[in-house]
Amino acid sequence: MKGILFALAGGFFLTYQSVANATISSQIGTWQAAAMTQLTGFLLAVLIVVVVGDRSYQQLNQVSPLYASGGLLAAIVLFNNMTAVHQMGVTLTIGVFLVAQLVMAIAIDSKGWFSMSKKRIGRTQIAGVILMVAGIIVLKW
Amino acid sequence: MAMGIFLALIGGAFVCVQNTFNANVKKRISVWSTTALVLLLGFAASFSAGLAFEGTGLFKFQAEPWFWFSGILGVGVVACVTQGVQILGPSRAISLVMVSQIFFGLMWDTLGWFGLEQVPFTWQSLLGVLLISGGVLLFQLGPKLKQKQTLNVNSGSIEAND
Repeated sequence: MKGILFALAGGFFLTYQSVANATISSQIGTWQAAAMTQLTGFLLAVLIVVVVGDRSYQQLNQVSPLYASGGLLAAIVLFNNMTAVHQMGVTLTIGVFLVAQLVMAIAIDSKGWFSMSKKRIGRTQIAGVILMVAGIIVLKW
Repeated sequence: MAMGIFLALIGGAFVCVQNTFNANVKKRISVWSTTALVLLLGFAASFSAGLAFEGTGLFKFQAEPWFWFSGILGVGVVACVTQGVQILGPSRAISLVMVSQIFFGLMWDTLGWFGLEQVPFTWQSLLGVLLISGGVLLFQLGPKLKQKQTLNVNSGSIEAND
């Protein structure tokens, strides 16, 4: 039960974040909004690292620089998210984001890219994506 | 509209790539240190892009006080999703997160909170959201669950900045 509530709250925060970013960006600009939310989030995360006495960051040198730099992609993700929300609303934006995420997950896992173990993709996964695309079409018809 | 869909497709693909990269980072580093790193780089990239496109115009803005607290939302995402994954396991937790995301999206569009343009509720949009949710659940919880553990971790939108 507690796990379900956490997961639902996680989804709520993700949507709230998209909405807040879109609202902020329409008032002060997209890059300003992206930089601001990332900076304040970073400061809070650092505070948590300090409070819980986490020192695992000292092993950062053991992480491949490519993977360690994943955060840079946020600029593209945020820009696209805010612009898409402005153009077509939250629901459709999230729907298309989810489809693209899962399709990319299929690609990564079936090819075993980025140090992920290679896996066979089942028909269920394909069917799931098809159902989602149908949902997008219904949503926008 | 077509532009919006194109941007969302690219954005979603990058969310997945980023989650995969982050999963590799988390093999060595704790969730919170990873989150801090990811947000720092996200800030650096957004700041640089802003400077490149807008020059010093980047600094000319009037923020309402709550704008400065928006970063808390990202931290809320990480905290809740991490807890959910620990209790429910990745596939069940991530599928719930995604379903929750799209339903709250529908709610938000309908209510038009926070100066967002209101999109009137229709039964058709509810049907669309139900189909998308069904697709997510089928994808994440369908047969062969056991072999797909890592896939489910990868596909989750568990990051603070998407």
